[in-house]
Amino acid sequence: MTSLVDDDRDGAARAGREGTQTAGAASAGADLAVEAIDLRKTFGAIHAVDGISLSLPAGRIYGLLGPNGSGKTTLIRLLTGLAKPTSGQARVLGTVMPSRTNLARIGYMTQADGIYSELSVVENVRFFATLYGVTDRDAMLDALRLVELDDRTATLAGELSGGMRRRLSLACALVHKPPIAFLDEPTVGIDPALRVQFWAHFRAIASAGTTFVVSSHVMDEADRCDELVFMRDGRVLARGSGADLRASAGTEDLEQAFLWYAEGGTRSAGGVT
Amino acid sequence: MRPRRAFAVCRRLLDELRRDHRSLGLLFIAPIVITGLLAFILREQEAPVPRVAVVAVDQQIGPVLASAITAAANDAGLHVVDLDAGADENDARQAIRDERLDIAVVIPDGFGAELTGGGASLVVITAGVNSAQEGGYVADLRSALSGALGALAPPGISIPSLSIEHETVYGAADADILDLFAPALVAFFSYFFVFVLTGVSFLRERVGGTLERLLATPVTRGEIVTGYSLGFGVLAIVQVALLLVWLLSQVTVPAIGPLPEFTVGLGVPTAGSPALVYGITLLAALGAVNLGVFLSTYARTELQIIQFIPIVIVPQALLSGVLFPVAALPPILQPISQLMPMTYAIEGLRAVMIKGADLSSSTVQVDLLFLAGVAILFVVLAARTIRREIA
Repeated sequence: MTSLVDDDRDGAARAGREGTQTAGAASAGADLAVEAIDLRKTFGAIHAVDGISLSLPAGRIYGLLGPNGSGKTTLIRLLTGLAKPTSGQARVLGTVMPSRTNLARIGYMTQADGIYSELSVVENVRFFATLYGVTDRDAMLDALRLVELDDRTATLAGELSGGMRRRLSLACALVHKPPIAFLDEPTVGIDPALRVQFWAHFRAIASAGTTFVVSSHVMDEADRCDELVFMRDGRVLARGSGADLRASAGTEDLEQAFLWYAEGGTRSAGGVT
Repeated sequence: MRPRRAFAVCRRLLDELRRDHRSLGLLFIAPIVITGLLAFILREQEAPVPRVAVVAVDQQIGPVLASAITAAANDAGLHVVDLDAGADENDARQAIRDERLDIAVVIPDGFGAELTGGGASLVVITAGVNSAQEGGYVADLRSALSGALGALAPPGISIPSLSIEHETVYGAADADILDLFAPALVAFFSYFFVFVLTGVSFLRERVGGTLERLLATPVTRGEIVTGYSLGFGVLAIVQVALLLVWLLSQVTVPAIGPLPEFTVGLGVPTAGSPALVYGITLLAALGAVNLGVFLSTYARTELQIIQFIPIVIVPQALLSGVLFPVAALPPILQPISQLMPMTYAIEGLRAVMIKGADLSSSTVQVDLLFLAGVAILFVVLAARTIRREIA
């Protein structure tokens, strides 16, 4: 039974060892939080991620922008090691993914809430904290304080409002204070006031050196990111700060800029309207 | 393997279930209510006294024989009905159709002549609706008939009446049918309820997005499956303990005030060690936990977990000796029943509870080994299926 329980998912242990070895070799990119090299993932005939190469330096907030089905979630699942790439390589914090041990340094907020409705707020946080190896009660309270749920610790998650559930989900993703966090559509379905609050939290945590990769299909959130990655059909259309992307596209409207890049980045923005 | 993470999974399950009163009721109360009901039916059921009529068509020996059979049937506690004088077989059939009669004994025409010729047979007519019950009637009648024939013996020759004393190697001769069913009930209930609960519980983990999240933490598949085994193992420990206390013990509560005296528990005797009974049942339940986790991979909704019941649970009810002895099954089904964990659980439990077998018995050893093997097999299979990508 020992062989079974010590078994790592998807050969993660092997990948982890390789990752540790290559981390030194790739020390030029030691400050890269995320490195994707010609990453591909196909499901049958569908190319969900179709050859993405990305290098994201640490300590910034990145926005993955694109319509539904553009490959954002699959890219995040490849980067968190939940899916194995069909080809190519994904490295997070210098370690090749999938790597189970590396997951202790990664936060992941899923698109679904992914919390247990029949557990209380604090029980949810404590459960994920234990899995991440955090036993410090203060760390759990810090996470709850961050999302302003520290006065509701005993409430059952199922009795929370939708926005509070999102906040609890975020607390569970950040309870181990990871150096990098992937947030898949964290603000979908929540009211504008809470959305502003969320971004304030991200900014506050990022200022302490944490890297955020946030996916969204809402363009007006994009300006809160340091850098944007436009995605469509499993490919990266463009990358840069909101201002740069607008300038290249010759428009003040980010949505127009996205369309301009989607059209191949050749026609003028005026032509798109 | 970090025990802390497996314990976290276990604790989470127990925290969730603590608040789920319905599931707790299903686990702890339902088996007690169902076994109590079954015990009541099996022990208290009253077979109706069959109504018998003797129709003498033969006039040579018929009337004499008829009165002898009638007297013997009365003695045997059967309810004798008189049909009209001169009634024949057809009248008897009609009486059975009209539900005025359960059995007719017909002394056919020429019976007397055939008897002196060496061989003659009586005709017994029943409705043919409930073969098990009517078979019992005929058996009752047969013993009454042998008494009647004794009474007819010519004067001077006495046929000594025989009495039979029933002795048993195992158990008590007056054991009721519940004693045979109790071992099967214990094994079956814990298996069934634990399977359904684990299956649904793990399915929710997959569907609700929490499994995706779990897999994005450093927890291993083995730790998740171990946590589930521990959590539902704890529940099985409590469930089996409660069920066994209920089945095996019988406590009489004296009358207090207006309350009359009553007894709690079914008082099923066990010849062997209750601890061993407990061990066998628990091992079977652990197999059910991991079977539930394993099969939840192949279901997308809770309804689809329910759909596994006819595939996984019902065949075991039919083939593992709950109702029919495995040795009496058609040969083509025997190998299938040899693969079912429930077969070994029930065989082991019957050996312990009825025959008083202990750990030195090779039957019990084989049963324990098989159940442990199945539990481990499904731990491995369950852990493997978690690898399956969710997207």
